[in-house]
Amino acid sequence: MEFTSLIAGVVLLLLLLAAGAKGWLTSRQWDEVTPGGDDEGATEGCPEEFLSRIFLRGDWEFVRKLGAGGIERLFQQERKRVALIWVRQTSAMVKRVMRAHTQAARASANLEFSTEIRILGNFVTLMSVCGILATAIQLGGPLWLNGLAHFAHRLLQQLAKLQESMQAGVLARSESGGNT
Amino acid sequence: MLSQAIWWSCIALECFLLARGVLGRLIVRYPVFYGYILFVATQSVLRSVVHRWYYDQFYFSVYWVTEFLGLVLGCLIVFEIYRVALAGYPGTARMARKILLFLFVLALAKAGAAFAGDPHLLTDTTPLQMERTLRTAQAISIGALVMVFAAYSIPFGKNLRGILLGYGLFIGERVICLTFVPVSGEDFWFYAYSGSYLMALGLWLGHLWCYQAIPATERNAPLDKEYQLIAAATRRHLQDARGFLRKAMGS
Repeated sequence: MEFTSLIAGVVLLLLLLAAGAKGWLTSRQWDEVTPGGDDEGATEGCPEEFLSRIFLRGDWEFVRKLGAGGIERLFQQERKRVALIWVRQTSAMVKRVMRAHTQAARASANLEFSTEIRILGNFVTLMSVCGILATAIQLGGPLWLNGLAHFAHRLLQQLAKLQESMQAGVLARSESGGNT
Repeated sequence: MLSQAIWWSCIALECFLLARGVLGRLIVRYPVFYGYILFVATQSVLRSVVHRWYYDQFYFSVYWVTEFLGLVLGCLIVFEIYRVALAGYPGTARMARKILLFLFVLALAKAGAAFAGDPHLLTDTTPLQMERTLRTAQAISIGALVMVFAAYSIPFGKNLRGILLGYGLFIGERVICLTFVPVSGEDFWFYAYSGSYLMALGLWLGHLWCYQAIPATERNAPLDKEYQLIAAATRRHLQDARGFLRKAMGS
């Protein structure tokens, strides 16, 4: 029991310190963009052709044939940077979808606990995939992640559809609110 | 000497906080919180009087009775935070209730299992252990509420945020201190135990200097049917996404 108490106390302290430091308990607005935050520069997704070029080995093999070490290093650095930006865009989109969902859910008296838990579980899974992708790119570079990246892109498209349906719901709500 | 300094500082800050609460009419908006502060100030004086003149007869019982009354009032503060913060958010309020109910059932089941394992548990448990257990349950509840508030981005005014942060930090520190504080004697943890309340008082004074309104909320939004549709769409799309994940990992 002592150990459980200690863990509970430490977790609560850390949680509250994080809440205080990151402003989780301030009056946030939904369309607010935090400067320097994850959402910045994440408003536009990458086209699929661009995505396939990030992760394809063709360009890399071409550069390697040139036999210039400096260009190789520069190429790898740039590819890694672009791939990481793409992963950040993906995770920002997942977050936006979740925000749109919580915005709709928090004011609804019909909210279902089990549904919310399931949605939260899916959100955590998707964020974990993004985290794993980012770590893999950091460690090994984007060139060996082709298959996973294509999957993630399809995921992104799904989420874009989801966001559209969310926005339609929110729009319908505001229209019906305006009519009453 | 240090205990005396902490004691007098706490009394002074409590009086100051109560005075600010009355002057700024905050006492009307957060009656349970100010009731708690008044109770703690009164309890400190009462304990001091009993300690000086009736130590052998009453101090032990007065100390633990007031300590557990403080704990109950603390639970009411958490309820006040929940009530005020989620007044305009019935969906989040429902979610919070379910989570707290789940935690309560879990704690009850754990206590039941402990009693079943040891029938003398209640008589063998010291008040200090009992307080630690109850404060731990309180800490877990506050942590769960904070996570719900953060997940649903519930807007907090400065006053309510101060109450939650101050009380939460106080409980967190107290739980840690109760793990290490000695039954008798005065070491670091003894002073940390007393000092945690002083820190909370400082935080409260900073956040409750004057009234600040909670940002406007979208009350009575006609969302019930739309929530069902949105939740269904969210689940379908996220399940599709998970299906892709399985396929990709399998291939």
